[in-house]
Amino acid sequence: MTTGFLLLAGPALATEEVSVEELVEQAAGLAGEEVTVEGELVGDYGFRDDGWMWTQLNGDVYVDEPIREGGSPLGANTGIGIRMPIEFAEGLDPPGRYRSRGPVVLATGTWKYHDPERQGESFLEVEALVVVEPGRQLSEHADWKVIVSGALLISGAAAIGFARPRV
Amino acid sequence: MLIRPVGDDFRVIAFYLGRIFLVIAGAGILPLAWAAVAREWNPFGSFLLMIGLFALLGVIGVRLAPPESKLNWSHGMVVVALTWLIVPVIGAIPLLLSGHFGRPLDAFFDAVSGLTTTGLSLLGDVDHLASSLNFWRHMLQFLGGQGIILAALSIFAGTGGITLYFGEARDERILPSVTSTARFIWAVSVVHLVFGVTALGLVGWLVLGFDIDRAAFHGLMIFFAGFDTGGFSPQSTSIGYYHSAIFESFTSVLMVAGAMSFGLHYALWRGPRRAVFANLETRTILSTFGLTMALTLLGLAATDVFVSAAGLTRQGFFQILSAHTGTGFSTIPSIELAGWGGLAFGGMAIAMALGGMGSSTAGGVKSLRIGLTIKTVVNQIRQVLLPEHAVVGTAYHQSGRKHLTPNLIQSVMTISLLYVALYLLGAGMGLAYGIPLQAALFESVSASANVGLSIGVTDPSMPIPLELVYMLQMWAGRLEFVAVFSLLGFLYAWARGK
Repeated sequence: MTTGFLLLAGPALATEEVSVEELVEQAAGLAGEEVTVEGELVGDYGFRDDGWMWTQLNGDVYVDEPIREGGSPLGANTGIGIRMPIEFAEGLDPPGRYRSRGPVVLATGTWKYHDPERQGESFLEVEALVVVEPGRQLSEHADWKVIVSGALLISGAAAIGFARPRV
Repeated sequence: MLIRPVGDDFRVIAFYLGRIFLVIAGAGILPLAWAAVAREWNPFGSFLLMIGLFALLGVIGVRLAPPESKLNWSHGMVVVALTWLIVPVIGAIPLLLSGHFGRPLDAFFDAVSGLTTTGLSLLGDVDHLASSLNFWRHMLQFLGGQGIILAALSIFAGTGGITLYFGEARDERILPSVTSTARFIWAVSVVHLVFGVTALGLVGWLVLGFDIDRAAFHGLMIFFAGFDTGGFSPQSTSIGYYHSAIFESFTSVLMVAGAMSFGLHYALWRGPRRAVFANLETRTILSTFGLTMALTLLGLAATDVFVSAAGLTRQGFFQILSAHTGTGFSTIPSIELAGWGGLAFGGMAIAMALGGMGSSTAGGVKSLRIGLTIKTVVNQIRQVLLPEHAVVGTAYHQSGRKHLTPNLIQSVMTISLLYVALYLLGAGMGLAYGIPLQAALFESVSASANVGLSIGVTDPSMPIPLELVYMLQMWAGRLEFVAVFSLLGFLYAWARGK
């Protein structure tokens, strides 16, 4: 997957690379550590007045095999909250949602586990961000058989509903 | 002697089911319109199919009306029990066709979970789900929390309404007629909807920095799931996604409002507010919330997970409030919740099992039953300790002065024991599949009390029998057993009656 690197912001850091799943599973053990995680940015970009941008980084099977492209539904997402200086977000493709796969990034930063300064929130404070793969649109095909079946059922219901009852 | 149901019994049931299906078909236009506006054509087709099925079954049912459509108690209970089974079957169609579920049963599971306001989910990749499908999932929680029957009663009045009303686990009539009570409940909900969505949307836009349309979307979804104590969320990290104490505060207010009985809402709107705090139910829920909160915080403090008091209080308060109100939102991942042992686990499990107030959108045993049980036990002890001929007072305050009667005590004890049995059923089933006791018990209580917090047992790879048991628990727990037993009795009479 790691083709076409684009360093967006921040210094290059030599840190331990962990998966999002490992970070969630060993959240306490990695508290305060500098880590690098790879994943897709999903949901929203929340630009706050204090200069931080918050979003979610997912590292699950759906990053490589989105359901819209034939991937199998294999359970819940695995994601973490991340925050980065607002300037890091400039030029980022929109986050992943329905019909779009968000940018896949390598995020390097400090894992804040139940951060006392944010009343116990856990998140990755990003110090460097590299876009591994830009975001892209995912195709959606309307299923005409389903639409026609639905229209027929509604027509049938209307016909029965408005038909005069037999005396 | 068991009397076998005849043709007219089935036709009366079909008639009322038909009317309810037509109401649901009408409600289905909302997600259909949403899909059209968002140009989500795949979900659009599936909503059309769902509406068509509801409408067709609805008109057929209405056409089957017998000349005299008198709905008796048994019919009403059967209608309620069947409504809560059939609506999720058809309502699961858009979920199933989305491609986000591995097997049809999983989509049905999510629809049952949504409608019963539980919040457990087997949906894969919610972070890429179509917005119209997210709207439908959350709207299912709104419909289920308010009561599908209640929605129907608000629109069509008629004989038999009282049976349907009580069948849906509501035990207080706030206004003289069922229709006016139903409309009052919807009025309360609409007012909360306007204020709730506005407040959450503004926080999302102005504080969290979301685009305004996305802020409104999040506000609407979290309102549906919060006020109806459902617990679904549009992002996989639940309320933890927002990383905001203000957003959590507004969500907490909605959860509390949802767990309050509509009688209490009425008293707060119209009646003397001071009397609210004299109610046995209010005092009970405040006491149990304080107790379970203290247990959980003590347990968490002993683990050193949170290094600051502010962190411990904010995170502990939110999880315990979510558990006690039966909502199921969380700000920490389920894998971390699974690691909570000792007092913290005990506090959470007890809070989930106790639940919110009666005639609210919350599940669990309910505070009034807990209060009455405690009062009964205390009275029994006093009776033993006092002289033989002493009379122990049986009065309690609940929207006026009332008395504990043997019938009331029997009813309270029976339902409470049935909940305990339901909790043990799922836990036993989990143990049979090799799930550790703590996890099996937690997940079982969460399903039965319609909470939705999970520590990882509810997963697409879970055994089908366990999935079926959780669905049974969600269904029976939401309906508080009476309608379920009535349906079983009706089927037995059909098979063995004369």
